[in-house]
Amino acid sequence: MRLLLTGAAYQLRLLRRSPGDLIALATTPLLTVVFLAVVEHNGRPDLAVNAVLAPALIALWGMSLLIAGDMIDAERATGTFEVLVATPARLWPLFTGRVLVVTVVSLLGLVESWLVATVVFGVPLRVAHPGLFAVTLLATVLAMSGHAGVMTSLFVLSRSARIFQNSLSFPFYVLGGVLVPVALLPAFLRPVSTVVFLSWSADLLRDSLRPAAPDSPVLRVGMVLGLGAAGAALSWWLLSVVLRRARRTGSIALGG
Amino acid sequence: MTESPCIEIEGLTRTFSHRIFLARRPITGTIALDHVNLIVEYGEVHGLLGPNGAGKTTLCKILATILLPTAGTVTVCGSDVVTDPRAVRRRIGIVLGGDRGLYGRLTARQNLRHWGALYGLHGTALRSRIDELTERFGLTTRQHDRVETFSRGMKQRVHLARGLIADPELLLLDEPTDGLDPVAATEFRALVGQLRAEGRTILLTTHNMAEAEQVCDRVSFIDNGTILDADPATLSALVSRYERIDALGVTEPTRARVSTIAGVERVEDLPDGYVRFHATDRPAATAVLRALVDAEVTRIRNSEPSLEEIYLHLMGGQRGMRVD
Ligand SMILES: Nc1ncnc2c1ncn2[C@@H]1O[C@H](COP(=O)(O)OP(=O)(O)OP(=O)(O)O)[C@@H](O)[C@H]1O
Ligand SMILES: [Mg+2]
Repeated sequence: MRLLLTGAAYQLRLLRRSPGDLIALATTPLLTVVFLAVVEHNGRPDLAVNAVLAPALIALWGMSLLIAGDMIDAERATGTFEVLVATPARLWPLFTGRVLVVTVVSLLGLVESWLVATVVFGVPLRVAHPGLFAVTLLATVLAMSGHAGVMTSLFVLSRSARIFQNSLSFPFYVLGGVLVPVALLPAFLRPVSTVVFLSWSADLLRDSLRPAAPDSPVLRVGMVLGLGAAGAALSWWLLSVVLRRARRTGSIALGG
Repeated sequence: MTESPCIEIEGLTRTFSHRIFLARRPITGTIALDHVNLIVEYGEVHGLLGPNGAGKTTLCKILATILLPTAGTVTVCGSDVVTDPRAVRRRIGIVLGGDRGLYGRLTARQNLRHWGALYGLHGTALRSRIDELTERFGLTTRQHDRVETFSRGMKQRVHLARGLIADPELLLLDEPTDGLDPVAATEFRALVGQLRAEGRTILLTTHNMAEAEQVCDRVSFIDNGTILDADPATLSALVSRYERIDALGVTEPTRARVSTIAGVERVEDLPDGYVRFHATDRPAATAVLRALVDAEVTRIRNSEPSLEEIYLHLMGGQRGMRVD
């Protein structure tokens, strides 16, 4: 737990030194403009909620994966990875704490998107179920931080994964029902997307902005948290594989 | 505490193999360490001397649990580096040479705080430890500056402070003065002297003889992954095996006569006018002395060979420090 905080504190200091890392947040308002323009033009105000949430979720996913995927490479570049491995600290909480900070900061994307909608487009937005909204956001941040660590190890294990880093996100935007609800996806994709926590998060967030009473919210938040825990377990296991392999092959200082 | 040594290495071998894409077995490449045995007692400053690529860094990394041994057993502060790396990590500090290994974008103090936290330190204990170390290493005035703005010598002090943050019993220093100017290097050696006075065990790698001679209690030579004469008795035997006697005003006949004495390996003219007789053992040296005194040569001096000479002697025939 304390290591989680240590990681978080470190990441905060880094962010303060180099706010350039937040560049992803620059595209969020632009995406919102594009999505909302389409929605408005077609006279579908009911879809404004989708248009506002999608860029925010894209920022969340993109920023978390970016930092997570880059973490070990950055430690190698500064020559600190070896020294880190030689400390008694467990690296998983340390790394996860760092991702957590970035994920929380990425929620600024939601604020941006919201501002674009209300100020630029004058779309009236109201959180119909504020409790559910808050709980879902929290669960989403946790699940995201748990999952992102998978990237940390994956990029170390396979150099070629990095080439796909950018394109890797798009299938998840589809499977995660970021803009288009999963229910509208082709039937064969639906089972796959039920194991993507983002699809549950996206649906819940949209529901919490709409007046209709949401369907079994507790179960669905539970799904977000459960899938998040599974992702965290996977990232924990992958990291231990990576560390063991690095100690054996001597690839800690060098590339993968 | 038991009387077992601080570092105990037995039959340590480390190979680096590389894998070819899709190949079933990795290809065995370099043998970085080859059946190395080494013992370092508590409180000892032990020097590990060797040329580039000798295996010094590899050995340090294995002791620091950064690398796994391929074969052999390594015990550090009573714990095995393979089966109980965490226990080892808690009791060692490591300073790898070079410019890297710190977070340049953070200040010196933030770096120390971060690394301290990784050793489980926090709160007042951590703060006073950092105060103590910054004070001691002359970093107090610059502790709030980013490390990337520091000179090499300043960075090295932060490195050392970081290595000491958790008050380790064993400090591993891999070429700590590499890249330091002579003043900074001398300062650094003085610091090592202080740490030794505190009773800390230090393993220091270097290819600088003078440094090893100056700060180390014992020295091991390493080359091609093999340790030569880690045993101090053997080493001191080596030292006395190569005795030299320098004499001034030696006439040609005397010189000719002395050089035929059994055990005189070589005769050499020194720049200062002295003639140096290299004897392979003590009796030979004594015989040389007697012959010189008999020939009424009065300006005689006897000097022990420096580490550098032993080093060159040991390595010379094989490859060592040859300058091409
Ligand atoms: N990660 C690695 N992968 C492959 N080979 C390696 C690796 N690390 C070291 N080696 C090889 O092992 C041998 C010993 O290297 P090592 O770095 O331990 O030498 P060193 O004594 O520290 O040299 P230097 O004085 O140059 O620092 C060298 O031949 C080196 O090329
Ligand atoms: Mg080295």
